[in-house]
Amino acid sequence: MRIIVNQQPQQCDHQCTLQQLVQQLDINPNGLALAVNQQVIAKRLWSEHALQPDDQVVAFQIVTGG
Amino acid sequence: MFTIADITLHSHLLMGTGKFASARQLTETVKASGTELVTLALKRLNLQQKNDDILAPLQQLGVRLLPNTSGAKTAAEAIFAAELAREALDTHWLKLEIHPDPRYLMPDPIETLTAATELVKRGFVVLPYCSADPVLCKRLEDVGCAAVMPLGAPIGSNQGLQTLAMLELIIEQANVPVIVDAGLGAPSHACQALEMGASAVLVNTAIASADDPVQMAQAFRLACQAGALARQHGLANKGGSEGSSAVASSPMTEFLEAL
Repeated sequence: MRIIVNQQPQQCDHQCTLQQLVQQLDINPNGLALAVNQQVIAKRLWSEHALQPDDQVVAFQIVTGG
Repeated sequence: MFTIADITLHSHLLMGTGKFASARQLTETVKASGTELVTLALKRLNLQQKNDDILAPLQQLGVRLLPNTSGAKTAAEAIFAAELAREALDTHWLKLEIHPDPRYLMPDPIETLTAATELVKRGFVVLPYCSADPVLCKRLEDVGCAAVMPLGAPIGSNQGLQTLAMLELIIEQANVPVIVDAGLGAPSHACQALEMGASAVLVNTAIASADDPVQMAQAFRLACQAGALARQHGLANKGGSEGSSAVASSPMTEFLEAL
């Protein structure tokens, strides 16, 4: 199915979880935060949060700053 | 030492982590600064371009991490950023930063107070970056902020304590730590802030843009120690006890007249 990650289309399996998406995209989970359709999803729920077609996922990462 | 939300910090220097040449330079500088609290930011991940992992080395140092909401222009954006930051770093400590004006990066007092009120209700330990406004700082304290972070001068300007008169009022009235943030360009600025009674300062640009950031961090560390020590042990009054007249520090003997 098709989802949107940071405004780019991505393909993932039906019922793909956020945890699986992170692995598929090869993203370092340390310092990572995810929101689906503008709702922040707690890290402990990534493995059970199943994505739906056309879900809008945004991924943020900790970077340096003042 | 001073306390934020039941956590005691021994260093009076907080450090921003931006503008360093490399992760290694950053970690060496953090070590040299003696800081126990460093700020970090959040950025939308670029899936094509993976960044160096700066987080793991900082975590290994054992310093406390303070995410900010830089980039937020409204209270709603800041609250969203705060929720993301809490998940990203597993901390409920937050440097609340809302500056819609890209030229001077002045914090928006209305949005900041609105966001702080909501974030405290959601269980965050909120440290708001704010203008050096004594009334605003009191309002932020009243809604439950754990500290206030008034600016000395615009971010990255290195101008020092341009807001000195207002900072004095803020410090006098505050029941939470006052951390002077932004605009400090030299160790003497940091020392002066601590002599005035600020609990801490936050420095980034002045350290990161030095020829040798590690040595500059050490200079700021010493300046903060000096300022805090001087504050603690009774600074002399300006002008001495005789107002603006000179006051001799040597005995005024009359031996010359006897010659």
